[in-house]
Amino acid sequence: MSIMDQNGGSVIAMVGKECVAIASDLRMGNQALGISSNFQRIFPVTDRIFLGMPGLATDVTTLHERLRFRLNMYTIKEEREIAPETFAHLVSSTLYEHRFGPYFIEPVMAGISKTPTGKYKPFIAATDLIGCLNFAKDFVVAGTASSKLYGVAEGLWEPDLEPEDLFETISQTLMNAVDRDAFSGWGCIVHVITKDKVITRTLKGRMD
Amino acid sequence: MARRYDSRTTIFSPEGRLYQIEYAMEAISHAGTVLGVLAKDGVVLAAEKKVTGKLLDLSSAKEGGYGGSGEKIYLLNSNVIGGVAGLTADANSLVNYARTAAQRHLLAYNEDIPVELLAQRLCDMKQGYTQFGGLRPFGVSLLYAGYDPHYQFQLYHSDPSGNYSGWKATCIGANNGTAQSLLKQEYKDDISVKDAIGLVLRTMSKTMDSTTLSSEKLEFAVLTLDPETKQPRAKIYRPAEIDALLASEGLTKKDDDAEMKTA
Amino acid sequence: MQYSFIEPPWRPRKGYLIMAADTTAARSIVKMKVDEDKIKTLSPHLLMAYSGEPGKSLSLKDPRDTVQFAEYVERNIRLYQIRNLYPLRPAAAASWIRRALADSIRSRKPYVVNLLLGGYDTATHEPHLYWVDYLGTMTEVPFAAHGYGAYFALSLLDRYHNPEATLEEGLETLKRCLDEVSKRLVVSPSKYKVKIVDKDGVREIEL
Repeated sequence: MSIMDQNGGSVIAMVGKECVAIASDLRMGNQALGISSNFQRIFPVTDRIFLGMPGLATDVTTLHERLRFRLNMYTIKEEREIAPETFAHLVSSTLYEHRFGPYFIEPVMAGISKTPTGKYKPFIAATDLIGCLNFAKDFVVAGTASSKLYGVAEGLWEPDLEPEDLFETISQTLMNAVDRDAFSGWGCIVHVITKDKVITRTLKGRMD
Repeated sequence: MARRYDSRTTIFSPEGRLYQIEYAMEAISHAGTVLGVLAKDGVVLAAEKKVTGKLLDLSSAKEGGYGGSGEKIYLLNSNVIGGVAGLTADANSLVNYARTAAQRHLLAYNEDIPVELLAQRLCDMKQGYTQFGGLRPFGVSLLYAGYDPHYQFQLYHSDPSGNYSGWKATCIGANNGTAQSLLKQEYKDDISVKDAIGLVLRTMSKTMDSTTLSSEKLEFAVLTLDPETKQPRAKIYRPAEIDALLASEGLTKKDDDAEMKTA
Repeated sequence: MQYSFIEPPWRPRKGYLIMAADTTAARSIVKMKVDEDKIKTLSPHLLMAYSGEPGKSLSLKDPRDTVQFAEYVERNIRLYQIRNLYPLRPAAAASWIRRALADSIRSRKPYVVNLLLGGYDTATHEPHLYWVDYLGTMTEVPFAAHGYGAYFALSLLDRYHNPEATLEEGLETLKRCLDEVSKRLVVSPSKYKVKIVDKDGVREIEL
């Protein structure tokens, strides 16, 4: 039993047309015993960036609190919100600082950035537990159901989905993948980030 | 006589005084005025800017950021605004320390730092500089306008010696005596934010040297509760917003402009 | 600018929290003590129940770990109250304690202590319950349990827990859980201490 599978949980992020989505399950267990069906592992970073952290639950909390510290200091000194690309590198460098005693987290982030020409560019990225960045153009997955998520996402995702279609795609992908994973599930939460708002919905799932 | 005892901060004079600290306080009483008023539903802070002029680049205050020109009023944490009077360079260092202290509390307790505790953190540091190692004390007084669930809205003042105290209305910097006696006359318990804004602006207009009040010489901030989330909301006004506020309070010298035009 | 956890929708609404712990202190298969109080009162409105990690061999954990850690927490929480005149709110205390465990797990000799933290927030007039394990995992829950009894207790609470239940009904549900543990667990404890925290603070009751 890997320490990455101690608490269970999965996260996925997808790119759409001028929008992105990020979703995770809500289970937090102690190996096979379910403890909580309301464990938030996706956190808002700015109004337009979300960070999902599947992996060891104690590190989810610790890393969230540490990143919040660095992020708040960045925001208050720079007097502006962080750009998604910059944030990805902040996450990466924070993880690599612990190269030889890592946080057991594989973060997934999603956001949209504004280009100099005023257009909105979707952004998703994931890293491994020591901060190696993966900038994907379609979708990224992580967590105990990652192998299943890859399969379903590969089949369902298509380019340039509108927010509502992207919501349907990411929800179906996540719900069907976590149903095949014993350590993920117990309900899901989905955030769709568009250029002017964030749509957040919780989904009911199988409770077994 | 004083000469023999004021070169090092850590030495008492025969009368039992620490001259360097008294000099630091003296320096502050010449600095730009900062004025704070505690209301039942918020706290109001205003400050007089000394560094002005048409060549000064204020573009960062007009757009982007969280408002304020970065001379007198700073956001210390999401629940605390700070107003500084004294040496600006010293103040910058203290502001940075306050922000870090607030984030350290958030990291340890996952809650916004209580306002008095933040004031204490800064005062612990300020006190240290009055006792240790031949260093100069911070030439800065601060006003802290904040909110926490323990004591709701609060207003604190701290001075270079590391003393702090809570106030309903107070003032630091130039003419603070005049301002405080004005505040003493006009302050009423359970004053509203709206009335406090008026009181602050009227008091500022009487204590400042310049005849007209405008965004060029004024910084302004209000801390209230968001009516929906019930979380503290710190608003540091932008230059345009200050001018609009002054106009609505009838404190701009519109009459002069009108006379000029007709003349 | 700053974000905290999203508020769970199911927090008990009747304004109380019940905590129970058995009173046996065992070393291996031997009962050493049958009147141990494993629920500490950390502040006027905060309770902490503590135990070791079941199944971990004794060589991995010092049997004094639990009490050592509990006293360390108790005194730090007390120190905060003395310095600041008001006690830490339950959520803040829980976060501090969690961090202590999270730091400990990556230290040379970690504490092996599992906790339940229950408190009544006098600022918002709501009870809170946190499940915390020796790794520093923390989650807010409507009901929780640690130890071998947890498998039985959680199953019953899944069925019978009611956020709207009165204190009397809540205690009835607790009794069902304890009875089930007595009935099904091979090494079932004989006695429990039961404590309640609500707006009036902490009190101990007899079931």
